[in-house]
This record gives sequence, structure tokens and C-alpha cells, in this order.
Amino acid sequence: MKVPVSWLLDYVKITATPEEIAEKLTFAGIELEGMERIGGAYSGLVVGEVRAVEPHPNADKLRVCRVFDGKDEVQVVCGAPNVEAGGRYPFAPVGAMLDNGSFKIKKAKLRGVESFGMLCSASELGISDDHDGLMVLDPEYTAGTPMDTVLGPPETVLELEVTPNRPDCLSMIGIARELAGIYGVPLEMPAVDLQETDIPVTDHASVSVDDTEGCGRYTARVVRDIAIRPSPSWMQRRLELSGIRAINNIVDITNYVMLECGHPLHAFDKALLKDSTVIVRRAAANESMKTLDDIDRELQSDTLVIADAEGPVALAGIMGGAGSEIRDDTKDVLLESARFDPDLIRATARRLGLSTESSYRFERGVDPETVEWASRRAASLLASLADGKICRGVIDVYPNPPNVRQVSCRFDRTRDLLGADIPDENIIAILSSLGLKPQEISGGACVLEIPSYRGDLEREVDLIEEVARRFGLDNIPSAPVAARINVDADDTPWRHREDLRGEMTALGLQEITTYSLVPEGLLNLFFGPGEEGRIALPRPVTMDQSILRTSLVPQMVETLGRNRSRQTEDAALYEMGRVYRRNQDGSSTETIRLAAGVMGVPGGNSIRTREPVTAAGMYGRIKGLWEKLAERRPGLTWTLRPCEAPWFEPGHAAEIESGGAVVARFGVIASGIRKEWRLQDPVAVLDADADVLASSGRAMPRYQALPTYPSVTRDLAMITGHDVRHEDILEIIRANSPDELETVELFDVFAGKGIPEGRKSMAYSLTYRAAGRTLTDDETNGYLTSVMDALRNVLHADIRDR
Amino acid sequence: MNIQDIEQEKQQALAGIAAAADEKAVEELRIRYLGRNGLLQDIMKGIKDVPNDQKKEYGQRANSFKTEVLDAVNARKETLAAAGGQTGAGIDLTLPGAWPSLGTRHPISALIDRAVGIFRSIGFTVAEGPDIEDAFHNFDALNTPESHPSRNPADTFYLEDGTLLRTHTSPVQIRYMETHKPPVRIIAPGRCYRRDTPDATHSASFHQLEGLYVAENVSLAELKGDMEFFVRRLMGREDIRIRLRPHFFPFTEPSVEVDYSCHVCGGEGCRVCKHSGWIEIGGAGMVDPNVFKAVGYDPEKVTGYAFGMGVERMAMILYGIPDIRLLYENDVRFLRQFR
Repeated sequence: MKVPVSWLLDYVKITATPEEIAEKLTFAGIELEGMERIGGAYSGLVVGEVRAVEPHPNADKLRVCRVFDGKDEVQVVCGAPNVEAGGRYPFAPVGAMLDNGSFKIKKAKLRGVESFGMLCSASELGISDDHDGLMVLDPEYTAGTPMDTVLGPPETVLELEVTPNRPDCLSMIGIARELAGIYGVPLEMPAVDLQETDIPVTDHASVSVDDTEGCGRYTARVVRDIAIRPSPSWMQRRLELSGIRAINNIVDITNYVMLECGHPLHAFDKALLKDSTVIVRRAAANESMKTLDDIDRELQSDTLVIADAEGPVALAGIMGGAGSEIRDDTKDVLLESARFDPDLIRATARRLGLSTESSYRFERGVDPETVEWASRRAASLLASLADGKICRGVIDVYPNPPNVRQVSCRFDRTRDLLGADIPDENIIAILSSLGLKPQEISGGACVLEIPSYRGDLEREVDLIEEVARRFGLDNIPSAPVAARINVDADDTPWRHREDLRGEMTALGLQEITTYSLVPEGLLNLFFGPGEEGRIALPRPVTMDQSILRTSLVPQMVETLGRNRSRQTEDAALYEMGRVYRRNQDGSSTETIRLAAGVMGVPGGNSIRTREPVTAAGMYGRIKGLWEKLAERRPGLTWTLRPCEAPWFEPGHAAEIESGGAVVARFGVIASGIRKEWRLQDPVAVLDADADVLASSGRAMPRYQALPTYPSVTRDLAMITGHDVRHEDILEIIRANSPDELETVELFDVFAGKGIPEGRKSMAYSLTYRAAGRTLTDDETNGYLTSVMDALRNVLHADIRDR
Repeated sequence: MNIQDIEQEKQQALAGIAAAADEKAVEELRIRYLGRNGLLQDIMKGIKDVPNDQKKEYGQRANSFKTEVLDAVNARKETLAAAGGQTGAGIDLTLPGAWPSLGTRHPISALIDRAVGIFRSIGFTVAEGPDIEDAFHNFDALNTPESHPSRNPADTFYLEDGTLLRTHTSPVQIRYMETHKPPVRIIAPGRCYRRDTPDATHSASFHQLEGLYVAENVSLAELKGDMEFFVRRLMGREDIRIRLRPHFFPFTEPSVEVDYSCHVCGGEGCRVCKHSGWIEIGGAGMVDPNVFKAVGYDPEKVTGYAFGMGVERMAMILYGIPDIRLLYENDVRFLRQFR
């Protein structure tokens, strides 16, 4: 909310600077969002009187005006739609400066017509954003009056953030009331002097509230014989500084009073209300109306409207109707001041996508007790600024005035909750300074009467918050820190995952974090358009983030690709995060996955590693990563089998089964997918169930005695068929060896020169050890012979002679 | 050969050995000085020409020549062997090493771990909740009425079945209290979602760190003290002060915003704190009694504080990252900066 400081100070007499005021308000919970200094630099600008307006010979939208600047009459070309003969507007003659001196007005030729100066809008003077037309000045001003005189001294405007719980602060008086409490000075309400005529209002209007739930209070006044003209420039200026465009004295007065006291008002042209009747009701189905902004609005049966005898004339609390608005020839005004139900206004405003200054306030709740004051205040201004004659009395439909609320506040509770030692008297004093009236003090508590404008104060804790705010949060001490352990709390799964991240980092991988919302195309690339269980956002902000990811793999490959396109040749990355799936029964599942991706040769810039990147090599790396993870989990039993998922390169991927479930997949990404990111060399990824990895096989380690006798190692080389697998060989070696066989290690695989076509050479190191003695050569040779025999028999291996 | 000669020869021998470029050169020197026909033999033979009163000293000098030169030869050989036993000038010690790679943590998860660690040290444990939430846990139980602007579909991602992507980590408070009796002392990191158009400081998904402490007689002063402790540990500066500003959140009352005195300038004003001396770290407050009622706690028996902080925002301030999107691009040249 924009608050011109000079306006604010009408209601609270303090001498603080705008900065001090802003600081006080911020620490009272009304935060300063910005501060703007406006005006004071209208060098050379004067009031210009437009004496004649002629069409421009060469342009439809331009007009040629004769402008009197107090001394001379000059010709000025003007593009504003609202320029009129007889009007007075800010005028910048040749030589005047605009934009605080950065822009000098010069003689110009516009479409062939000479122009000696410029008529200005409020935005050109830097006092509002309104550049729809010229700033209309009070005709009282004589031509040539300096604009500094018209607009007054420079102004500071505070931009304040009023939180949703404080609708009472959405006005100058509301903010002033806060300041009055803070500074301990009285709030000075403007005097309302209502000069009524003898004709009773009931002679000129009638009101019927059909929906008392939607409208808790409705008042109507009638002001007759008003004179429509621009409002005085002080009022225009205040409105513009507050971000509202000045229109005419009637509309401006309603807006002015709204900004002043926070209560929205509406003025109807009484002549346009059929039978001078106002009915507050819900719209009938299929009713519609045109609002002030010239849009036809379809109404629903829950829409609260103001209607006359014929039909809706206003969207209650949101916007008036085009059919009953104040016109240039309006004579009699029906002034509405009412309280509408916040939920109803909000629902309609939201449905219509229409938020106005009025709806904003009604949605948050206005004070029912201010309704009548606002009406009187506006009526008195209509009399003084629009020559109106006020009918006697007010129609006030107020069937159920709320009871005065009383709330009790316990002193000990206040001190305990805040952790501050605030004496009883201070608590009472603070609450009193906010306009709460202490009724009864007993038993360590105080019962207070809540003023009607503080609808937010309903419970004790609301009062304690007020005490905290006013006492000053800075005055609340910092309690000494104490560690308090909750023995029942257990976050083991999180800690295990934290450890797993640490493990991945220790293995030399770099952690990444990607968005959990992904584009559909990315998922389709890997899993096809038919993937089941995807959760799509009905209304994404961008299509790039429209589906909750079902896997970490696509973004892992995308990240590798992005890095490759930025000339990074090698990377080893991991991510741990959630994936999301819709289940058959409509529920959703979030599981935590661990993904890793490798690209290039590790330490690619090293002088030792200029080896080509092969699919087999990349498979080996990602499998190696899995083996390291598995090695750390001796309790995890798993088997490996080929994985045929289409996003993997055929024959270059494996899946790991454990406990009847696939817990991990890894392999080389299919070349068709790699092409998407121009990843020419193979890249490999791992995708694993993070919770299984994090939690499995973490039993307490048990010490095993270190061997005391030496081991004996024997090498064994053989030539086998190309399709014989390493695991098959291992199995045969183990099955044909005694317990003394400690380890078997593959140390060479070779095919090519010297090896027959379709065969390969495999070389193993077998290490034997006995528990209580040193093995003899004969023993080990014997073990080896049985292994060799088995290999020859089962695999038809040629064992190479040593 | 007299005593001075021995001394001179010894110095020359030691200097030569120390400068020997490789093992072969050292061996040549050893033979020259200590070999069968080496200088030592000459020295030993020379003792017969030395006057009797000097024989003893001559003998000692000869002996020290032998031991010192031998020691020098052995020491030089060892040094050369350690340098790789290479010939010539040895290896280029400055060639790049061969360790494959250095693992790094992502700034977001690293910061979460750090923060969690600090809170753990004063007895908090981690709690988690789903990203896909229902309106009850995300709003209703958190005292956020139907009318509150944050429930607007323009701000919140609603899914087709009426569930939603949580807009904050606060629903974890509800889920935890629903299933645990007080006292409660939890820290809940996680992803949140809001319908923000992505730009340098906004992201439709981001991380928050939520804290909740509920017990008998928890006070706002404790919130202040614990926040102070946390920020001091996080920034590694013991002179950091905490400032609370009144604010409004539906689920806390009183509600505050938490600022801390700038960790860079100490509150003097600098670019990091936009010359205000203060940096906002999050929102907090005392748990609203309606929240306790929603989970079946008695607000007359327990009180509590809660806080929430934006992790990306914190990371950006802490590391000087100008654009939130950098955190999600995962350029390894970026990641490498966070070791």
C-alpha cells in the first residue's frame, strides 16, 4: 500500500522523519517495501489554460491547442484524448525541464505543425504511473501559476506491506493509529460536519437487503444537485500519490475516503437506478451485467449483486456497473457504504479474475462500525467539494450488529510464551495503547474489550502477539542454547542416506541436483510416451517443468550432455533424490533413487590416460562403481543378469536382483539417446534404490583372525570359447577347490593375435592358504590339477603350460 | 700427505658426492676415494711418514675421512634411489598426478547437511514428508483458511485428484506431530513447489529447511537463542546477532521474520547485505494453538516454536551465487567450486 507521508501526518502529530516512521512501522509488523520521493522539481512548469482545440490536419490522434501560459498564447500539439478547451493542465513551455532536469522542452514540429511546449500527464511529472491522459487541474487555478505551488512541496511515499491479518491497516487512519500507539500521541480523526437538508433520505431511496449473510450492513445516503468537476488538486495529488487515478470529484471523494479510513464506498447515479431502489441479493442464474471496465460479466447464483428494480447495477464490493456510473450530467448521487462477506467477495473476485482496491479490502474484512462514519465523511465532502445537498438521515440496514468481543489475557502465560519478564502493568498498558479497553483484572489475567476494527484479535495468543510487537522483539532476550535429546526420535534412514552421499563423494563422484519437474519429451525419449504412472501438472508454469520425474536417469544423461556441450570431456556425477509415480489405486508413491553417470576417462586431462572410450570400458567403470558400493555392504546378497531396457545399449547393461526385487540397473546409454545431446562417446549410468543401498548389509562388523601362515599363489591361463563367461569360470574353479582356496582374481583377458578365431585367453591368479600350517608345493599343485581338469572337461579350455 | 691435506681432500670428496647426478657417478667417486687403489689407501700408506707425535691424530683423521665419505656415498645413493633411480636429472616432479577424480557435494545438499548437523548437535532429529501433499496437511491443519492467498491455484500446484505439491515443508510438522507425542524436536529439509515463473531468483521448485520444537514451556526467547546459535555456527562467526521483525504466518503466533547481522561486514553494511547490515534468513514463530488442536495436542500443556528457511536463498547469499538456475544446471566447472 502506498502511503504519502504528509497525508498520514494529518491524523497523527509527530515530527519523525519518513525513515524513522518506516523503521517504527517495520518493527511493528508493517514492513517497508520501498520509499519514493516525488516532485519538487517542476522547474518552469506552470498551469496552462487551453483556450481552443482544433483537429490536427495530418493526424487523427493529435490535436492542435491554443494554450495560455499566463503571459502568452502559444500553439501546442497534443496527443492526449482528454484535452478540452477551457481545461487547465500542467504546461511545460519551451525551456522547461522535465524528469528532474534531464529532459529539456524544445520547439518541435509534429506532423508538420509547430508545437511550443507540452501539456503533461501525471506520469510525465513523475507523480504517478498514470499516463492515460493529461493531469486535469482544478479550474480555480489561474493560468501561469507555477506547478510547484499547485503540487506543493516534495512528497515521500512509503510502500508498505500490510499482512493479511491486518485489514485495519489498509488506510491512512489505520497506519496513523499504529503510529499514534507507538509514539503515545492521540489519533486525530477528521471532523465530519454534516449539513443536512430537511428532505428525508427515505423520500428519495429505498434499500432492501435480501441476503443478510452476504451483506451484514448496508447504508445509503442521497446527495442531490451535485456539480461534477475535477476534484481539487490537493485531493487529486493525494490519490495519484497513492496510485489511484483522479476521475471527477464524486468518484475521487469515494476513493479518497476509502484510502483515508479503509472503507470502500460506491456512488451511484440515482437517476439511473430504476425506482431509486437498491436491492442486495444473489444474482439469478443467467443474469449478466456490464461492469465499469466495459466488460460483460456472466453472473452465477452465488454472486452477490446490488440491483435496482430491473436488474444488477453493481458487483457488490468489487466493481460498479457501467449502467449506473457517475456521468458528466449526474445530478443526484446514492452513496453506498456497506459491509460484504469476505468469503463471498473473494470467491467472486477470484472467479472473475477481478481484483480491485474495493474487493481487496472487503476480502480481508472491513470494520462494520466504520460503515456509517465513512458514509458521513463522504457525504460531507460531497457537500463541500461538489456543492451537494445532503438528504436528512441515512438508510442503515444492520440487522445483527456483532457483540462487543472480550478476550482474556493471562500475564504469566504472556511472559512464559515470550520468555520475557514483562510486568503486569506493562502488558495492560501496551494493550490499552492499541485501543483495547481493560474491563476486569483478577486472578493474574485481564479481560479486555476489543475495538471493532481489530477483527483479528479473537484469542489470548492474538493479544500476546500484540504485546510482543509493542514491547519490541529486540527487547526479548535470547535464551541460552540447550541441547535437548529426544530419545524416541530416530532418523536412521536419513543418516544412512547421508552416509551414502558421503560414500559417493569419497568414490570421487560429483553430486548434482536437478529439478524434480521435467518436460514430457525428456521422459518420452527414455521411456516412451506410454509410460505408466506419470504425474503431470494440470497447469504447469512452463512446459519444461510439467511432469514429476519418474526416474533420475534422463536428467543424469542430460547433465552429462550439457557438460559435454560445454567442452567438458570427463565427468563422474551422482544424484540422490525422489521419483514419483501414480499407483493403480490413485495413490502416489515417492521413492528415493541413487543415480550415477560417467563420461570420458577419469582424470581426462592427465597425460597417462589417452585411451579411447569404449562401450566395454564404460560398462566396466559403472559396474566397478556398483561393485564398490556392494563391497561396502557385505550383508547385501545380489545376482547380476542382463538388462534389456531400451534406453541402454543392447548387451551393455545389467540389472541387480536382491531379495526378489531389482535394486539397481546400470549400463551404457543407447546411442540413439546419446545422439540427442551429441554425446559421441559412450556414457554409462547407474540407477539404484537408494534406501536399499543405504540400509542394507550394515550389520556390526565382526573381527576375523588375520592369517598367521603364508599363502601360495598359482597362476592359471587358458584359452576358452568366446562366449564363456568369467562368472562360469569362477564357479568351476570354486566348485573344484578345497576350502584352502582363498581368492581367485582375473588378471588378463585377451583375444586377437596368436589366439584362434572365436576364442580368448583368460588368466587367473589363485591364492591358497591353510589355517594351521604352511601348504606344500605338492598340495597346491594337486589343488590346481583338479581345477585344470574340471576346466578342460566342462569348458573345453586349453590350459596353457606354465 | 699431512693432516691438512686429508681435511682438504675430505671436503672435496663430500662436495663431489653431494653433487653427483646419478648412482653411477656416486660409484665412480666411491672407487676413487675408498676403492682398492683409492685415496684412502694412499692416506693409510702415508702414516709411516708421519712424525710419531702426530701419528695418533693422523690416524683419527684418516678414520673420519673413511666414515664420512662412506656415509656420504650411501646417503647420496639413497636419495637418488628415492628419486626414482633415474638417470640424468631424475623425474619431473611437477607432472600432473594420477588420482582419478575428486568428489564434491552439491551446494544445496551440502548446506542442508551442514545445517542439519548444527541442529543435531542440540538434539534435533531429521523428519521427512512427501512432496505430494493433501490440502489438510499443507493448509488446513496449519491454520490456513480457505481464504488465504497461498491457497490460490495461481500460487499452488494442484494435481488433478485434488492433492497438491507442498508449498512449504511445514506439513512435515503436522505429519510428525500426528504420529509422535510431545516433546518434539525435529528438523525437516525438503523440496517445495510454488507457481513462480523461473528467473534469477525464483524457481518453481526449491528447498526449505523446517524446524519444530514442542515441549512444555517453550518460549520465543528460546527461538531467538537457538536461531542465534545456528547462524553463528553456520557462518562461523560468534559475533553475529539476531533480529526479529513481526510478521504474519497463519500457523504461528507471534510470527516473526528472522534477520542476522551480515556475516561479511559484521553489520557495517556491504554489498552482500545491500548496505543494510542485516540479512533475512527465514520466517519463524510460536506454533499457533490451532495447529496443536489439529494434531490433538493440548495448547495449554505444550508450546513450541517453528521456523522455515529457504536453502537456495541461503546458498546464494553464502556463496555469492547470482542466479538460482546455476544451482540446477550442474555444470561441473560450477560444482568443482564447492569442495
